[in-house]
Amino acid sequence: MRKVMIVDDSVSMRQMVGYTLRQGGFEVIEAEHGADALNRLQSSNVDLIITDLNMPVMDGITLIQKVRIQPGMKSKPILMLTTEGLASKKEQGKAAGATGWIVKPFDPEKLLQTVAKVLP
Amino acid sequence: MKIDLSQFRQTFLQESADHIASMETSLLELRSAPDDIELLNSIFRSAHSIKGGAGSFGMTNLVRFTHSLENLLDRLRSLEMQATSEVIDILLRSVDVLRGLLDADADAAMPADALELSEQIDGLMPGEPASEQAAPEEHLQELNNEPQIKHYTVEFRPHRELFESGTNPILLLRNLAALGSFTSCHLHTQELPALADLDPAQCYLSWTVELNSGCAEDEVREVFEFVEHLAEVSIHCTEEPQTIDDTLSLAVVATGQQQLAVRAADQETSADRRRQESPDDRRDPETPDRRKAAKKKSEVRGELSTIRVATDKVDRLIDLVGELVIAHVMTAHMVAEFEPGCLPRLREAVAAMERNTRELHERVMAVRMLPIGTLFQRYSRTVYDIAQSTGKKLRLETSGEDTEIDKSMLELLGDPLVHLVRNAADHGIEAPEVRQAAGKPEEGVIALKAFHRSGRIVIEISDDGAGIDTEVVRNKAIERGLIEPDSQLSDEQLRMLIFEPGFSTRDVISDLSGRGVGMDVVRRNVQQLNGSVSLVSERGQGSTVSIELPLTLAILEGLLIRVGDRTLVLPLLSVIETVPLHDEQIVRVAERGEVVVIRDEPIPLLRLSRFLGLPPEVENSDQASQEASKRRLAVIVEAGNRKVGLVVDELLGQQQVVVKSLERHLHKVDGLMGATILGDGCVAPIVDVAGIAAMNLFSLQVPPTTFPQAVSRAL
Repeated sequence: MRKVMIVDDSVSMRQMVGYTLRQGGFEVIEAEHGADALNRLQSSNVDLIITDLNMPVMDGITLIQKVRIQPGMKSKPILMLTTEGLASKKEQGKAAGATGWIVKPFDPEKLLQTVAKVLP
Repeated sequence: MKIDLSQFRQTFLQESADHIASMETSLLELRSAPDDIELLNSIFRSAHSIKGGAGSFGMTNLVRFTHSLENLLDRLRSLEMQATSEVIDILLRSVDVLRGLLDADADAAMPADALELSEQIDGLMPGEPASEQAAPEEHLQELNNEPQIKHYTVEFRPHRELFESGTNPILLLRNLAALGSFTSCHLHTQELPALADLDPAQCYLSWTVELNSGCAEDEVREVFEFVEHLAEVSIHCTEEPQTIDDTLSLAVVATGQQQLAVRAADQETSADRRRQESPDDRRDPETPDRRKAAKKKSEVRGELSTIRVATDKVDRLIDLVGELVIAHVMTAHMVAEFEPGCLPRLREAVAAMERNTRELHERVMAVRMLPIGTLFQRYSRTVYDIAQSTGKKLRLETSGEDTEIDKSMLELLGDPLVHLVRNAADHGIEAPEVRQAAGKPEEGVIALKAFHRSGRIVIEISDDGAGIDTEVVRNKAIERGLIEPDSQLSDEQLRMLIFEPGFSTRDVISDLSGRGVGMDVVRRNVQQLNGSVSLVSERGQGSTVSIELPLTLAILEGLLIRVGDRTLVLPLLSVIETVPLHDEQIVRVAERGEVVVIRDEPIPLLRLSRFLGLPPEVENSDQASQEASKRRLAVIVEAGNRKVGLVVDELLGQQQVVVKSLERHLHKVDGLMGATILGDGCVAPIVDVAGIAAMNLFSLQVPPTTFPQAVSRAL
């Protein structure tokens, strides 16, 4: 089963994205923020990372940058969770190496479609 | 597949309430550090999180309001704007509005205060276009019944660094193919270097695709949405689909058309679904369907009382249950193959089980314990508001925030504490001029402390204000008829009078240099929690109210008593003393009942046998009955605000009892706060002393049939 890591400091958002992904047949790992995600990535191999941008300890942009310089992670699909109206954040995310984005609030079906866009 | 996310609403609401509380705390801290980036960031994150989640549950008002708020906070944290006290004040009011919006129905109109504040917030940011008035509307795509097949020539030339974004170009081409059918797909390899020069992390390929599709150009372009910055994509559209003449391609077209048909059918159903849903979602917000709203509200509130528990607490519980299971397996095995020789091992196993059970008990109780800090947090705001409205200088100091307290107690303490804090701020602390004149610092300090003392929790609310003027209290009490003009009372006794009902009324506050309103309510609430309140006050130095509470409501120190053949439990805390009761001490007051006079104080007697519906003690002269009546006792208890003597036959002892709810298992019984299971397996009711005293069973005229038969049988 393909594994997706969801990184978000909001429990409800993690639950909602996680539930959607499980319904879509994915295995889900949760992380609370960027640093937590990096830590968990050391011991588990994931096929896709979905990350929020605004988080305590380590934000999503930094996480994407750090993931991209890790061996074997250079072309790992990463989707960022953004809210509408923060275009500059989206640009920063793209520049950091995000594969794509999901706009919050998300439509569950649309989320799975977006995941299908970046995961074979 | 329809994925329903509404089940996460409760989590979202709780999480948002936490965010709002933490915003409030941070905002209050921000006053003394207006350019603290960490604080600003955390406030921003809270607003941002609320906004992100609110959209998922259709809470558009909340989305709209947090959107304005977020813009403002973004400017603050990027230091484009200063967090002046005016701004902080607006933000604090926003916190209140957020609370309201969180509670409100999703389809209610935007409340006036929210609209006004949101305009004010937008007004703070010149040049910012007024916040988008609506949450992103879902665009209903009008569906062409007969999709017009068009021909597209798509050139896709990725930049070398395409792979660095984790993009797989093959997936993009597949997505493109899903929109219709390829009539050709050319891979351009001329950029490929010699193998020796090839960097596998770079993309040297590009594609030209000829596509027949019924989709609009936008949809075709959307395939490349994520790579616009990483590739040159050109899309040319001609209205006429390309004709294909070889049979293989015809087959492709056929599949393509089939896909189109399927796709069209898909859209049809999803459009249908939207249409079905839309009448509800798009109802004019001014005329919401009240019934539905009410139903929704109850769903939201859900009466779901939840508790969040640290994972390590749960882990330890699981460990313990594991150990219990092992101990049980061992015991069962030994019992099954019992021989006298294994008795010592059996004892050991039973002892282990007992240890585990006791620890399990303690730890399960600990699950209900929450740090009191969550409660203390609220009061910074209370103090801030009072300082704003009275012009006093006030500071709230808290300590012992980590002290854990039973969750249900935490909930019930909220009101009494806010009362005490407000009293201290409002009436305890003097105006700055007065303080200066008295040689005190201008700023008054209110301290909230929580700590453990001999197995109980103590919460202290103290202020360094004027203290309580006992003369004013005395005069007021005389005026109210609470004491006789000539009564000799110590200062402490006088001060305790403010807890008497009827003492404090609105008009007292102004001339009482201290506490006033509703202290009796505070005491009653605390007593309901099996706790006690005390007060220390020094004129000119300030006052301290201490609330002492048991660690938990689920266990209570009980006094076991016997009435007839029944065993009952009295909460030991309410017991003042026990005195032998001889018949000759009992004074009958016509129509009113019986009293016993103890140290010149008449105390009404309540015969528990009447409460239980037992036959009255027969006053015959046989030996046994006389013996029994000699041993009879009066347990003097404090019930509400008066002393009552409960007539019992025997004291059986004192022990901790676990309180079980009667309501849950049977139904609510007046005069009982629950029941417990004793060591011998018998069920013993626990007397609600205040409740029983309020039942007015003193008069012997009242028929003693109040104890429900069902309960009597069950017990």
